[in-house]
Amino acid sequence: MSLVRLTASDLTKAPSGRDARRRRSDRIMRGVMFATAAAAVIPLIGLITFIAVHGVPFLSSQFILNSPLDKEPGISNAIIGSLQLTIASIIVAAPVGIAGGVYLNEFASPRISSAGELLIDVMLGTPSILAGLFAFLVVVPALGFSGWAAIVALSVLMIPVVMRTTQEVIRLVPAGVREASLALGIPVWKTTIFVTCRTAASGLLTGMVLAISRGLGETAPLLLTAKGTNDTEILNFGSTMNAMPIVIYRYAYAADKLHIGQAWATALVLLVIALVLNVAVRFRTINSRVA
Amino acid sequence: MQQPEIESKNGATTPRVVPTGVPAIADTGAVSTTGNLVLQNLEVFYGGFRAVNNVSLQIESKSVTALIGPSGCGKSTLLRSINRMHETIPNATVRGTVTLDGVDLYGSHVDPVRVRRVIGMVFQKPNPFPTMSIFGNVASGLRLAGISNKGEISAIVEDSLKKAALWNEVKDKLDEPGTSLSGGQQQRLCIARAIAVRPEVILMDEPCSALDPIATLKIEELIRELRAEYTIVIVTHNMQQASRVSDSTAFFSMGEDRGGYLVESGRTPQIFTAPTQQLTEDYVAGRFG
Repeated sequence: MSLVRLTASDLTKAPSGRDARRRRSDRIMRGVMFATAAAAVIPLIGLITFIAVHGVPFLSSQFILNSPLDKEPGISNAIIGSLQLTIASIIVAAPVGIAGGVYLNEFASPRISSAGELLIDVMLGTPSILAGLFAFLVVVPALGFSGWAAIVALSVLMIPVVMRTTQEVIRLVPAGVREASLALGIPVWKTTIFVTCRTAASGLLTGMVLAISRGLGETAPLLLTAKGTNDTEILNFGSTMNAMPIVIYRYAYAADKLHIGQAWATALVLLVIALVLNVAVRFRTINSRVA
Repeated sequence: MQQPEIESKNGATTPRVVPTGVPAIADTGAVSTTGNLVLQNLEVFYGGFRAVNNVSLQIESKSVTALIGPSGCGKSTLLRSINRMHETIPNATVRGTVTLDGVDLYGSHVDPVRVRRVIGMVFQKPNPFPTMSIFGNVASGLRLAGISNKGEISAIVEDSLKKAALWNEVKDKLDEPGTSLSGGQQQRLCIARAIAVRPEVILMDEPCSALDPIATLKIEELIRELRAEYTIVIVTHNMQQASRVSDSTAFFSMGEDRGGYLVESGRTPQIFTAPTQQLTEDYVAGRFG
């Protein structure tokens, strides 16, 4: 088939032959891609709707503000517990993860750096129950079922998340920025902290939020460590503590409609907290210039 | 063509020690103040590769020296070895000496961090710190050097921005991010940032190659003004630029081992009109490179 030379007058005619086929397949492919994109999003929207529909009827201010031991039982102790455990874990995980990520990127030899990356990959892929098992076997015998054990398990899960994001965002800092700082006679350690990390600050924050989101939703390690309780524990990490995933897990198995409904409502609260956190960070990072 | 203009000030008789075997780039008898750089048998390596071959060169204080030559002849590498930035690259090493007013910058007791405080640098691509304001960028070197007196910092920032011919354009928006400026302004901001830590020497690595012609002219004008206070070494690909801004020029070329070497150096008008080497003549006439 030889190429037909088109003239300007051909452009006004309706396309035919190969051009028509091309138009048709273009339209079909576009439809297919839209459908696959929708297929990815629809279950997510469905899940959120489902949780909302089942959870909202059981949601009330008492549910959020009361403890399970009150006359109108709520999940305040689980919300408080989840927040405490997650915050305590990120306080442990963030410095370790950020320092580790910065080290691997800025200072480690190529060999150590790639070994470190492999280790992070393995840790990221570790099933969370193994982190729970680790704390269960190492910390629980010494301190009993406790917040401390949960913090150990959660930070083991969070560190690789923070470390990986740190590596990614530090890598995005242009080499020229470091050079500019070194050329001003600023020592390497100050350059790393006050220039490189500062340039990547919003990215580092994103990594921490990702880690927090992961920590908030973990269930298996908490069942093996914090165990769950009806008491409200504030900063009492030596005792068993309650957390939202534990509540969801336990209530979902209950025989009565009230508890099952409360499990849905707890899931909704958890979802909203995670969502708010992520959206807040997104807003912050959108306004910054790097990563 | 006019004879090269020789600057000299009255009563300047301070004897200058010129190491033997070092071709004086411009032995004009000009005032000898601080900021005299002497490179002697300098060889610069990336691992086993010798990127710069045995360069000996004297760079006159308070003047502009241009390093010209074809791509890959080691000009930038040489420049970066002057303020010891070269060694921040893994496996990069330097042999030979670089002295500033008689002090060997590669001496065993010399801290490279302090060398860079004395010898500042401006890069090819404007590289303001992205998370810092205009003010913060200029103040960064001072703050990170431990100066905390706010009055002192703002005085130096203002002074540096004025010297970099940027003050009038930014005085009302010092809190805006440095990256909000245009490319030419960003480069002047980087010059202000380099000036703020009060160096003796400013190294410029093709400072205009990412800029438009008007911004380039402004930077060139600035370079000519800064020469009164600083020793300036500028790497440039642009021969017109070298002839416009520099007092002295050193021409480099690439040897058969791909290492760069110094072909000749001298007063800029002489290099451009009456070079002693055929290679230089071919290059400045645009016959190669």
